[in-house]
Amino acid sequence: MAVCVAVIAKENYPLYIRSIPTENELKFHYMVHTSLDVVDEKISAMGKALVDQRELYLGLLYPTEDYKVYGYVTNSKVKFVMVVDSSNTALRDNEIRSMFRKLHNSYTDVMCNPFYNPGDRIHSRAFDSMVTSMMIQVC
Amino acid sequence: MAQCVQSVQELIPDSFVPCVAALCSDEAERLTRLNHLSFAELLKPFSRLTSEVHMRDPNNQLHVIKNLKIAVSNIITQPPQPGAIRKLLNDVVSGSQPAEGLVANVITAGDYDLNISATTPWFESYRETFLQSMPASDHEFLNHYLACMLVASSSEAEPVEQFSKLSQEQHRIQHNSDYSYPKWFIPNTLKYYVLLHDVSAGDEQRAESIYEEMKQKYGTQGCYLLKINSRTSNRASDEQIPDPWSQYLQKNSIQNQESYEDGPCTITSNKNSDSNLLSLDGLDNEVKDGLPNNFRAHPLQLDSSSDPSNSIDDPDHVKSASSLHETKKANTGIIHGACLTLTDHDRIRQFIQEFTFRGLLPHIEKTIRQLNDQLISRKGLSRSLFSATKKWFSGSKVPEKSINELKNTSGLLYPPEAPELQIRKMADLCFLVQHYDLAYSCYHTAKKDFLNDQAMLYAAGALEMAAVSAFLQPGAPRPYPAHYMDTAIQTYRDICKNMVLAERCVLLSAEILKSQSKYSEAAALLIRLTSEDSDLRSALLLEQAAHCFINMKSPMVRKYAFHMILAGHRFSKAGQKKHALRCYCQAMQVYKGKGWSLAEDHINFTIGRQSYTLRQLDNAVSAFRHILINESKQSAAQQGAFLREYLYVYKNVSQLSPDGPLPQLPLPYINSSATRVFFGHDRRPADGEKQAATHVSLDQEYDSESSQQWRELEEQVVAVVNRGVIPSNFYPTQYCLNSYSDNSRFPLAVVEEPITVEVAFRNPLKVPLLLTDLSLLWKFQSKDSSGKDNEEVKELVTGEPEMIGTEVISEFLINGEESKVARLKLFPHHMGELHILGVVYNLGTIQGYMTVDGIGKHSLSMSVRGRQDLEIQGPRLNNTKEEKTSIKYGPDRRLDPIITAEMPLLEVFFIHFPTGLLCGEIRKAYVEFVNVSKCPLTGLKVVSKRPEFFTFGGNTAVLTPLSPSASENCSAYKTVVTDSTSVCTALISSASSVDFGTGIGSQPEVIPVPLPDTVLLPGASVQLPMWLRGPDEEGVHEINFLFYYESVKKQPKIRILRHTAVICTSRSLNVRATVCRSNSLEDEEGRGGNMLVFVDVENTNTSEAGVKEFHIVQVSSSSKHWRLQKSVNLSENKDAKLASREKGKFCFKAIRCKEKEEKYTFADIIFGNEQIISSASPCADFFYRSLSSELKKAQLSVHAEKQSIEDAVRLIQKCSEVDLNIVVLWKAYVVEDSKQLILEGQHHVLLRTIGKEAFSCPQKQVITVFFGSSSDFEYLIQDHREPPEMELLKFFRPENTTVPLRPSVEQLSNLIKTSLHYPESFNHPFHQKSLCLVPVTLLLSNCSKADVDVIVDLRHKTTSPEALEIHGSFTWLGQTQYKLQLKSQEIHSLQLKACFVHTGVYNLGTPRVFAKLSDQVTVFETSQQNSMPALIIINNV
Repeated sequence: MAVCVAVIAKENYPLYIRSIPTENELKFHYMVHTSLDVVDEKISAMGKALVDQRELYLGLLYPTEDYKVYGYVTNSKVKFVMVVDSSNTALRDNEIRSMFRKLHNSYTDVMCNPFYNPGDRIHSRAFDSMVTSMMIQVC
Repeated sequence: MAQCVQSVQELIPDSFVPCVAALCSDEAERLTRLNHLSFAELLKPFSRLTSEVHMRDPNNQLHVIKNLKIAVSNIITQPPQPGAIRKLLNDVVSGSQPAEGLVANVITAGDYDLNISATTPWFESYRETFLQSMPASDHEFLNHYLACMLVASSSEAEPVEQFSKLSQEQHRIQHNSDYSYPKWFIPNTLKYYVLLHDVSAGDEQRAESIYEEMKQKYGTQGCYLLKINSRTSNRASDEQIPDPWSQYLQKNSIQNQESYEDGPCTITSNKNSDSNLLSLDGLDNEVKDGLPNNFRAHPLQLDSSSDPSNSIDDPDHVKSASSLHETKKANTGIIHGACLTLTDHDRIRQFIQEFTFRGLLPHIEKTIRQLNDQLISRKGLSRSLFSATKKWFSGSKVPEKSINELKNTSGLLYPPEAPELQIRKMADLCFLVQHYDLAYSCYHTAKKDFLNDQAMLYAAGALEMAAVSAFLQPGAPRPYPAHYMDTAIQTYRDICKNMVLAERCVLLSAEILKSQSKYSEAAALLIRLTSEDSDLRSALLLEQAAHCFINMKSPMVRKYAFHMILAGHRFSKAGQKKHALRCYCQAMQVYKGKGWSLAEDHINFTIGRQSYTLRQLDNAVSAFRHILINESKQSAAQQGAFLREYLYVYKNVSQLSPDGPLPQLPLPYINSSATRVFFGHDRRPADGEKQAATHVSLDQEYDSESSQQWRELEEQVVAVVNRGVIPSNFYPTQYCLNSYSDNSRFPLAVVEEPITVEVAFRNPLKVPLLLTDLSLLWKFQSKDSSGKDNEEVKELVTGEPEMIGTEVISEFLINGEESKVARLKLFPHHMGELHILGVVYNLGTIQGYMTVDGIGKHSLSMSVRGRQDLEIQGPRLNNTKEEKTSIKYGPDRRLDPIITAEMPLLEVFFIHFPTGLLCGEIRKAYVEFVNVSKCPLTGLKVVSKRPEFFTFGGNTAVLTPLSPSASENCSAYKTVVTDSTSVCTALISSASSVDFGTGIGSQPEVIPVPLPDTVLLPGASVQLPMWLRGPDEEGVHEINFLFYYESVKKQPKIRILRHTAVICTSRSLNVRATVCRSNSLEDEEGRGGNMLVFVDVENTNTSEAGVKEFHIVQVSSSSKHWRLQKSVNLSENKDAKLASREKGKFCFKAIRCKEKEEKYTFADIIFGNEQIISSASPCADFFYRSLSSELKKAQLSVHAEKQSIEDAVRLIQKCSEVDLNIVVLWKAYVVEDSKQLILEGQHHVLLRTIGKEAFSCPQKQVITVFFGSSSDFEYLIQDHREPPEMELLKFFRPENTTVPLRPSVEQLSNLIKTSLHYPESFNHPFHQKSLCLVPVTLLLSNCSKADVDVIVDLRHKTTSPEALEIHGSFTWLGQTQYKLQLKSQEIHSLQLKACFVHTGVYNLGTPRVFAKLSDQVTVFETSQQNSMPALIIINNV
């Protein structure tokens, strides 16, 4: 169960960010923003060698006391960041990976919408509900 | 971690230096006091050795010590209070701020360019102070006193006695159990006897002698004569002597302040500081508790501890700040070392050197050797012995050892003489004298021992120092054991709960890691030590961690920013406002403008608050402003909080400078370009049955089409006024200026007429905004009529009601995310130039909203006064090349009206003005013109696109009752009762179109209003009748009236008033008429000019249930050449009723009337007993109006026909033209609210061509015209572009483009009218005479106005199919062909003879008549007129 899901544009501004509980929204914003450093680091660390078969899933970015932050980056350098409650031990790497894949698919759908202007904030009901399902579902 | 001034290799040795105690006699203390220094302070600047020192290690190796520093301090018998240390550290940090002109270095990371201060002096001074103020502890000896200086003065009575007293004192302090503090390194401390000698006061001889005595007693190595105070203080000003103390003392002023006092006082001062500290703590708590918001707990939440209301009123804060300030001031005022010369400085330096070389180092050397010997002697034994004993004793206990016990061992204390401590002592000594190799091995050994004993505190200390010494070893034989440090930190923190030691450890380790570029490890270390117990420490460490992140090889900007924010938060909790603000500002660089609005808002908010508490109000305002004006994603509650803060700060700003210019407010947004300006009074709403002219108002939406219409109307009237030309300087009057209007010129406003400015506000926030006392801000330059030479224009700004009155809206509420317009008025009272600058208002929030938030009702019902400017950008210029290539904007002068002199002002009211009419219905209404100004007005005209809609009556009109009430039940028409005898024949009258006001040039739309006197005086009002006729088209009609009037003054100034009437019309009658030639010639006087007019009237009114029936009361004709003569087929029912969907047909005979130049002859045929005089108002008015509008169309069609068409053709055409106009007057009986009403109306049918149907309803006409001839079609194309079906017709157009050069057959056949006159039946006795001759008269009449050659051919042609069907045949006798010439309108009769041989019915219509214009011989050989069959019956008698 994700606590916060964020989609970050290539230029590192948020395209979509949603979190529960909402009263801690600011904290999650900070957390996601800070995690971008690690994403950048991981991307540059991956280097040129693995450009072709690059794994999009970046794995655990960093753990904090209460949360784990996972990252995922698409080929167009759009980043997905997911914050997960660290008390939730049921979430393994594989589950996270599949959640990211779902997120990616949904994001692709958003991009396919001819009325969506790439670079705008995402206001898609379908995307929203998908994120909600990821936040609620206990997998 | 930021760069430090010192490198690590310098920093660590400096942090751990040999400590020396100083014990002074009172007299000696007095001597140094003369310099405002204590003895220890006196030595401080010189405590570093300038030369290298050599010593021998236990292995007799020579060891070089560089830059050795010793620390001399007065003996303090109390351990420093942790509270005092905290306060001290706090002060040190707050005292060290970034320099103003500090050049920040720019770090570029990715797309970030950050200005980051390279150094953090506050951290360095914190670290220095922290390390110095570490209390001595039992497990390590680094800051234990190695030696003690006993200082006495030469001026004392018994100096030697004094020395021994001091010695005893020292001994007592060290060995008496009363004093647990200070700590001493070894039991037999080195005592060094110093004799102070005041050169200026004391007897040198005596001093020398005492010194000699001392030397004898303590040995030359153990005593020193220090001569100071070589100059008297009054000479001080001559010489400029450097003050080496200042840099040391200022920093530590508070510490030193304490040390001024002697023993007992120290305690009290400590207590003082304690209480201070308590209050500080208490404050912290208080602040925490007083948080207005409930989300205070998390550091990321908005920093509410700095709630302005809380901290401002906080006396403690102020006090502490001011006390710090005072001490600083005191320090700067005092000149240290005023009695010391440079030689004295040298003497002190030499003294230290001497002390170190002769006293301290040998002592250390000796001690090390002793310890070493002890260790070596004990080594073999001790190891086995200790471990054996340990096993012996502890063996049995092993299984019981639990975690608890393990923890307990941390409390294990070795006795001071324990052998484990001896090795540690040796290690510390070696470390102090920079012998790191030896130190490391000793620490290493000690560490093992301690770990074996589970003495965790000791072990941690050993680990820490082992790591440090391993790092400091020259040549670095082994890598830096970072894990030692980690273990040490963990032990200190978790097991020993000693945060101070842990902190020291972290500081050292981080510095070392940093020097090895292991930034991320350093950062992790630093972050790990942040905890709840000390905000200041956490803040500083977080800041350093942030610096570590930015200094990494690939800088982690965001982590930097985040940790900066955390640091800022902790700083603010620690009361370090300036540092907090600085941190937030630094972090802001990263977040700014990157789309992370939530975070950005938070930072801005915090910056705002911090700036506010630091009284940097401008910064605060701009920060708050930033939050508010950006499209915010904050919740409403949060926005409300932001807004309140902003208002609060703003209020403070404005209170600081009450006389300053009004501040610019950021809220609400103003959409400047949507500003509309309206000149003139508000429109009065309809008053009873009076309906005011709609004119222009701000409620109307801009509509480009209608504004274009108005403009055209105005141009028309102006053209008429100026005799047909529009003056070049004419611009259409604009009453309402908006973004669509032409605002390039200064608009004109009239004195005493209000100017209304509509400002479009938008509230971007989710909370409502309350604007109070909202008014316009303006500047006025009065045009002084008294003196023109007075060039200086008076500029007045808002607040002079006698010049310009300003309306104030007391409350204006804008709800969250709402757009709303405010209408603000100005009342100019003087002439001049007005500039509307902006709006001024109090910005506030609603009180009710506050209480929801739980803050309390009493709070923050505040508002601040400020302004917002209205700046309107004009349209982009795009005319010249330069303007096209660059981006230039034209001026927009909407808000800069020129106030001109008084002008007349007209109000127009409509009385009994209907809203619904039947098509063609005539209704009488009244118009009231009122001059509401103080100037007379004249030249009143009205323009409308639809002049056929209304009339004021012609000149000849006998005035009908002038007051509207009197005319309630009167017919709109002028009627005359007639006797019923003259039913069938027409009553004739005539009138000229000039009388009806339609003849004015080419502008029939402009109608002068017949004012009784041409001038309407101020205050006067006139009521005029006005007839309306429902437009012929069904539907809703918007009819624009433009009233034009001018001032009577020399320069007539144009004013206009607009009115839009909305009329809904419903279908009534549809009239169709045709005219055809009459074949009869019976009317002699008509000379062949007879025609029959057929009028079909159909009741098309379907929907209106109210309309019962229509009565045709009269049919009138109006023409210059024709008139109706009588009704032909009048049936028995005289009243000509038409119920719904009924159709009636009328037939009239029309004859030519006498030619009267430019006069129309009206002929009325009456079906009732009242004659409506059609040549009078209003019937004739409407007739002329419809005629003129029809003429206008006709003109267009004439234009369409090419001039090249020869006159002949026209002539031919003309003869088939008539200009007979039929007016059908009707009455409709309507039931409305069970009341019967009689409505009247009239329809016009304009007959132009013989044989063609004409309609009263224009739409139908369009269609018929279209199916008519091709020339008509062209007209159609030209005149009716708008209807969509016409567009489609264009497809066919190319086929029809050939303009017929020849007139059509039909037209030609109308040239000559033929008629045969013969007896209808003819009796002939065939038995008597077989041939029957019948005389037949063929009448030929020329309908055209030209001579026509006519050929009559009687030869029988059988081609005609009709002729064949007639049984039998006949022949014409006599001449079979006639050639004739007929003059204009001439009638010629030919006597023919027809010869029949049988009885029967014959058609006589066989003569073929050819006609051609006589002067056009060849061109138009005409075809035969297709005459009707003329049947004759031949009977046999």
